[in-house]
Amino acid sequence: MEQILANGIYLGAQYAMIALGLTLIFALMNVLNFAHGQMYVLGGFVTYTFYGQLGWPFVVALLASCVTLAVLGALIEKFLFAPVIRRSSREESTMLLAAGLAFFFDAIILLVFGEKQRGVPKIVNGVLNWDFRIIMPYDRILICFLAILSIVGFIVFMQYSKTGRALRALAQDRTAAQLMGVNVERYSMIGFAIGAMLAGLVGGLLVTITGVNLGMGGPTSIKAFMMVMIGGAGVISGAIAGGIILGFMEAIGLAVLSQYGDITYLLIFVSLMIFLAIRPQGLMGKPWG
Amino acid sequence: MSNLLEVRHVTRKFGGLTANNNISFSVNENEILSVIGPNGAGKSTLFKMISSFLPTSSGEVLYRGERISNLKPHTVARMGVVRTFQETTIFKSMTVRESIVVAQHLRAKASLAGYFWGTKSAREDVESFGRYADDLIDFLGISAIRNELASNLPQGNLRALGLAIGLATDPKVLLLDEPFAGMNHDETMRMVQLVRKVRDDRGVTVLLVEHDMPAVMSISDRIIVLNFGEMIAEGTPTEIQNNQKVIEAYLGSADDEIGI
Amino acid sequence: MPRLSMIQWTGLLVFLIAVFVLVPAYIAASGRTDFYYTLTSVALLSIASAGVWLTFYIGRINIGQGAFALIGAYVSAILVTKAGISFWLSLPLAGLFAALVSVLIGVPILRLRGVYFAMITLVLTQVVTLTALALPVTNGAKGITSIPLPGEISVFGLTVIPDFAGLENPRLAFYYTSCALMVLTFAAMYRLVNSRLGHLCRSMQQNEELASSIGVNIAYIRVIVFAISSFLGGIGGAMFGSIAQSVYPSSFQVTDSVNFMLNCFLGGLGYVFGPMLGTLVLYFGWDLLFELGRYQLLVYSGLLIILMLFLPNGLLSLRIRGKGVAGR
Repeated sequence: MEQILANGIYLGAQYAMIALGLTLIFALMNVLNFAHGQMYVLGGFVTYTFYGQLGWPFVVALLASCVTLAVLGALIEKFLFAPVIRRSSREESTMLLAAGLAFFFDAIILLVFGEKQRGVPKIVNGVLNWDFRIIMPYDRILICFLAILSIVGFIVFMQYSKTGRALRALAQDRTAAQLMGVNVERYSMIGFAIGAMLAGLVGGLLVTITGVNLGMGGPTSIKAFMMVMIGGAGVISGAIAGGIILGFMEAIGLAVLSQYGDITYLLIFVSLMIFLAIRPQGLMGKPWG
Repeated sequence: MSNLLEVRHVTRKFGGLTANNNISFSVNENEILSVIGPNGAGKSTLFKMISSFLPTSSGEVLYRGERISNLKPHTVARMGVVRTFQETTIFKSMTVRESIVVAQHLRAKASLAGYFWGTKSAREDVESFGRYADDLIDFLGISAIRNELASNLPQGNLRALGLAIGLATDPKVLLLDEPFAGMNHDETMRMVQLVRKVRDDRGVTVLLVEHDMPAVMSISDRIIVLNFGEMIAEGTPTEIQNNQKVIEAYLGSADDEIGI
Repeated sequence: MPRLSMIQWTGLLVFLIAVFVLVPAYIAASGRTDFYYTLTSVALLSIASAGVWLTFYIGRINIGQGAFALIGAYVSAILVTKAGISFWLSLPLAGLFAALVSVLIGVPILRLRGVYFAMITLVLTQVVTLTALALPVTNGAKGITSIPLPGEISVFGLTVIPDFAGLENPRLAFYYTSCALMVLTFAAMYRLVNSRLGHLCRSMQQNEELASSIGVNIAYIRVIVFAISSFLGGIGGAMFGSIAQSVYPSSFQVTDSVNFMLNCFLGGLGYVFGPMLGTLVLYFGWDLLFELGRYQLLVYSGLLIILMLFLPNGLLSLRIRGKGVAGR
């Protein structure tokens, strides 16, 4: 029982971070970022390169992941999403662009890093064993702690900093924000950069535990979509709730149903569909109309 | 049967807020009845309940003795009670004529499959829709914008388009949502004439929600006044103008607005 | 009812001759029989894409067509291998079963709009893959293999369709079958879009509230359209299974679902024939880039992005309005 709880918190914290980035981008620009999973993988590979290959300190490598993805996110927003949103007669066109980007990142990862699974040396050794009730390696605990810290940091940033407030205003009502004097173009770019950065940060954190490989992008995106749907698209608290709920469902499912193979995910998917049929806007989303 | 539409003890609550409290009135055939009231009086809510866009919390709405509340909007429309919207609710990338043709969906005799295979009755439908649309365009005097895309129309014409879409369904009762909002005096007077003409020439009973007092006074046979979700008065325009409660309600709300 | 003009008839005739006479003649002359497989795939994928396009037409972004293609492929494979039913009977049954499933799923989820609907359909593909892995009848990860080729159909002793297994070139037979199905699908689509159902779809795409106020039963039309869409997905999937003679849980994946959507986008969402063109360009583009080896995906996705940047409304938006334009 305690073990499931611990696993749930561990999974939930990292999932929530992935969902946060996705939901931020969605809230700001109404873009469903198909490439989010690939951004996460890219973040993992950057940390792998600096920490695993070049032997730099882990924190520096993690920072490099954040910076790389933030810059990438900003460039993508400025030169790809913003022009397409301006020119297209349908907002769905951005989905094609995002899907194209997902393929593009996959191609780059394939060319630069190859198809193989990559891992890095452990950042901390040893395993916590509390009376065989909770068994968890120290590095997982550290990563979980860092993830929670990042989430708290993000919330504080969004609540209290000037940029965070501007982003929230923008997410709530684009036109109103513009009238209030928020520089919409600039903050869209900043928001996209932060969303991408979050994906990169999780990728960097998790490479120390799960390693990283090319095929992780797509499934990660799907999980992120599910979390966002559970919590309500474009709502920050919803993304966190969605992440934690999915994390716990997975932890419980894997513990209870492991002998039945992939049935956990099937059950999660089916219950999600039933949940959305009853509550289409998710837990914390606003109903439309 | 003179009571065409009957609102019976209709109440609507949103959480702890009562938007409409125990409203009862009836609409006679061939009458123009207006519902007025200060902002937030619950006019729109009432309107949505009559057209089944919102379920009632309690009470019911009857049309020719049959319940039309708590159904689906399309069912109510099929029974002959059709609402219009304010100007932003249009088919943006259809022309005026196309919108009117689509709106005649209700009058189609052939089935969806019949249209697919192009049966005789489907071809007849299509022909009669075209004729009817042209008639309606002439009737409303909007032939100049016949082939204009709805998204290109100026505000004033959008109101006429909304009316045309509503009329194309061949309704018995037409619910007009603020038909004069945002219009200047001349436009308002033209619209008043048009609504009268719809009633006189087409035998359509009109129920409307409106802010514009002079227009309401000149167009209505009877008026219902709502305030804070309660019905506070009912009567002819002259009666309403001299009703003490109504005057207080409007003065009170004016104070409130200044207070904000 | 739309009547085809002289130019449209000519265009149609040229298209038919090209598909059924010129292409086979060219392939026979050049010996590039691999083109048969490519073109057959394009035809089948464009049928499934047409379904996705139709859901776009009521304003829903459908990234779940892979699910229905997979359902169709499995239903046909199971009927042929386990029940011994003729493939030609299993084909419509596969479509109908996919449509039935889509009705059951569609009733709750079609209430969702925009991104929500898109995301849940994306998840749907995953659900069907996992179901195929979990169910005994689908034979788990091993899939269903050695599906017999389509058999003979004869009416009063007269062979209408020959036994594919006895043919010298079953590839050509599949090519003809798939192209015939594609022509049928798009003829039906053109008709549908220009009939009352099409007009009602357009009214819903533009404003669901207004549509329901004028008496359109939007819930009913949404389900009908989703069922037609999934029917097409099921048919496409069943044909694919028959050509490959095998079905696996991975036969149609999330990537395929995304590709169906991309085909529609690329061809242009306002045009009935958009999905056909989009599929052709995407599939052929991918094939042509095969020469580039490991740079294939990079160049392909790079081109996609550039295309999106400069033609965000699809390829057919380049063309002058006219033939085959549904709506505006």
